Amino acid sequence: MLIKTENLWKIYEIGNEKVQVQALRGVDLEVEKGEYLAIMGPSGSGKSTLMNMIGCLDTPTQGKYYLNSRLVSQMNDDELAFIRNKEIGFVFQTFNLLPRATALHNVELPLIYNGTESKERLEKAKKALKIVDLEGRVTHKPNELSGGERQRVAIARAIVNNPSLILADEPTGNLDTVTGAEIMKLFDRLHSEGNTVVIVTHEPDIAKYADRIVHIRDGKIEKDERLK
Amino acid sequence: MQFLESIGVALRSLVSNKLRSILTLVGVIIGVMTVIAVVSIIAGMNKYVADQINALGSSTFFVNKFGITMSEEDYLKALKRKNFALQDMEAIKERCPLCWKVGARMVAFKKVKYREKYVSDIAIAGATANITEISDINLSSGRYPSEFENEHNRRVVLIGWEIADNLFPGQDPLDKNIKIGNYYFRVVGVATKRGTFLGQNQDDFVLIPITTFNKLFGTKRYMSIFVKVENFGSMQEAQDQVRLVLRARRNVPYDKPDDFAIMTSDTFMDLYRTFTSTAFLVMIGVSSIALVVGGIVIMNIMLVSVTERTREIGIRKAVGAKKKNILWQFLVEAVTLALVGGLIGIILGSVIAKIVAATTPLPAAIEAWSVITGLVIATSVGLFFGIFPAVKAAKLDPIVCLRYE
Repeated sequence: MLIKTENLWKIYEIGNEKVQVQALRGVDLEVEKGEYLAIMGPSGSGKSTLMNMIGCLDTPTQGKYYLNSRLVSQMNDDELAFIRNKEIGFVFQTFNLLPRATALHNVELPLIYNGTESKERLEKAKKALKIVDLEGRVTHKPNELSGGERQRVAIARAIVNNPSLILADEPTGNLDTVTGAEIMKLFDRLHSEGNTVVIVTHEPDIAKYADRIVHIRDGKIEKDERLK
Repeated sequence: MQFLESIGVALRSLVSNKLRSILTLVGVIIGVMTVIAVVSIIAGMNKYVADQINALGSSTFFVNKFGITMSEEDYLKALKRKNFALQDMEAIKERCPLCWKVGARMVAFKKVKYREKYVSDIAIAGATANITEISDINLSSGRYPSEFENEHNRRVVLIGWEIADNLFPGQDPLDKNIKIGNYYFRVVGVATKRGTFLGQNQDDFVLIPITTFNKLFGTKRYMSIFVKVENFGSMQEAQDQVRLVLRARRNVPYDKPDDFAIMTSDTFMDLYRTFTSTAFLVMIGVSSIALVVGGIVIMNIMLVSVTERTREIGIRKAVGAKKKNILWQFLVEAVTLALVGGLIGIILGSVIAKIVAATTPLPAAIEAWSVITGLVIATSVGLFFGIFPAVKAAKLDPIVCLRYE
C-alpha cells in the first residue's frame, strides 16, 4: 500500500476570533502502487488540503497518514522535506519553475537537495528531459518555452528523482485544450511505465483520464469511483 | 555545489541590476575604502618616521630650550627662555660622566652664493664635529668638517645636495669657495640627496663648524645639545645628570620646573603616535557608521529579495530544500554581496592612498593585513546583517509561498 490515510482531519483557525474552518473531516483513503487516481471536487471541497497532506507539505490536525509504510503525519519540517524530495514529484498548475534558470537546472533541483554529484545530476536531468521529449530545449529558460513545454519541464523535474508518487495539481489549468490533452497523454505514458499518478482537478474531462476518481465534498469523500 | 550555486545566483542578480547593486553596496564600499586608505597612509608614515627616528638610535637624547610646544602661547613663553651656549655643552661634557659623546647644533638662514649663482634662505647649520654620531647625512664626496677645523674656527663647509645641484651643475664642488652670507667658505664635502619629508626639503642646507658659526653669525641663537650614551641602560641616569648640571647653570629654583627640555626618540615617537591615533580613531568612527548603514541597506535589499522570491522559496522547499538549505542560500548571497562591496572598497581605498601619496607630502604603504581586514569586515557585515532575512526566508511555509502572487 503506497498511501494509507486514517481518519484525516485538518482544522484551521482563521482571524482574531479564531473561527474554525474544517477543511478535512475524517478522510480515509488507500492508494496502491501503480494506480492512476484523480481527486475531484468543487472549489472549497478540501481537495487542495488533501493534496497538501498527501504531498507532505502539511500535517493533519488529527489522524494518520502512512506513505510507503512510513508514518509521515507526525514528522517535523526537515523530515517532511526529506520525504518530499525522495517520494513525491509535484506538478503544479502554474508550472512553478525557477524563472532565471535553464530547463536543465530546473530539473536537477531536487537532486541538488539530496546531495547528488554534479556529473550524475546532469545525466539524470538530461535523461528526464528526454523522457518528456524536450532534449532540444535543455538550455532554454522558462520564458523561452511555450506553456506546454514549461509543464513538461516541471514533469521532468517531478520524475528526475524516481519518486514513489507523481502528484499533479490542476496540471492543465493554464494550458489550452490541445496542449492540455498532450500533457494528459504524457501522464498516461508515465503511468503505463509503472508510475503512481494522482491528479487533483475540478474538471471532469481531465479526471476521466484516470482509472479511479475519488469525489470529495465538504471535507469528506463522497464517492470512490473505479472507471477501469 | 550548493554553495557555488548561491554565489552564482548572487553575482547574477548583482550584474543584472548594476545601479541597484551599486546603491546597495555604497555603505560597505565607503566603510572598507576608508579603512584601507587611512591605514595605508598611516602605515606609510609610520615606516618613514620610524626610519628617521630610529636613525637617531635609542642611545641619544636632545636638550633644547623649547621642547615640544603645543600652542602659540607655549611657544612664545619658551622663546623667552635663555639660549644655550657652547659653554653649557662643555659643562655637560665635564660634569656628566655617563654622557659618552656630547655635541651641539645651531641654525641660521642665509643666502649662499658661488660666482653669479646663488640660492636664498638656506639653513646654515653650525655643529660640533661629532654631529656625525647622530646625523643621517651621507656623503656623496669629500668629508665632514673635522674636530681640528672646529677648534680653529676654520671656514670649511659641507654642502647639501641642492646647493651642489644649483651652484655647481656638472662641476665638482670640492675645494671651491662659496659665499655664505658675507663670508667665504671652502667646500670640503657634498651630501647625498635626501629628498623631502612631509613637504620639507631636506637638501637645502650647509654644515659648518659650530665655532666658526658662533664667530661669524653670533651666539644669540637657538642651539640644541645632543648627548649619546654608551649603553642604553644608562639613558635615564645620564638625563638626570644633565638635568642637574643645567638647572644649576641656569639658576632654576628647586621648586620650579625645568626651563629647558630633554627629549629622546621616544618623545618624538609618542608625539607622532598621538597624531596618528587621532586620525585612526576618526577613521574608525567614519567607517563604522558607513558599515552599519551599509549593512542595514544590505539587510533591506535581502528582505526585498526574499519577498520577491517567495514563490521560488516555496518551489525549493516543495522539491526537498530544508530550512538550513534556504537559510544558507540567502546568507551566502548576503555575504557575496558584501564581499563584492568589500573588494570594490579595497580597490578604491588603495587608489586613494596612491593618489594621496603622489599628490601630497604624505607617503602610503598598502599593507596586506589591511586588505585582509577589509575582507573580514565585509564578510562580517554580510553575515551579521544577512542572517535576519535568511532566517525569515527559511521559516516560510511552503504552502503559503506557493500560493503567493
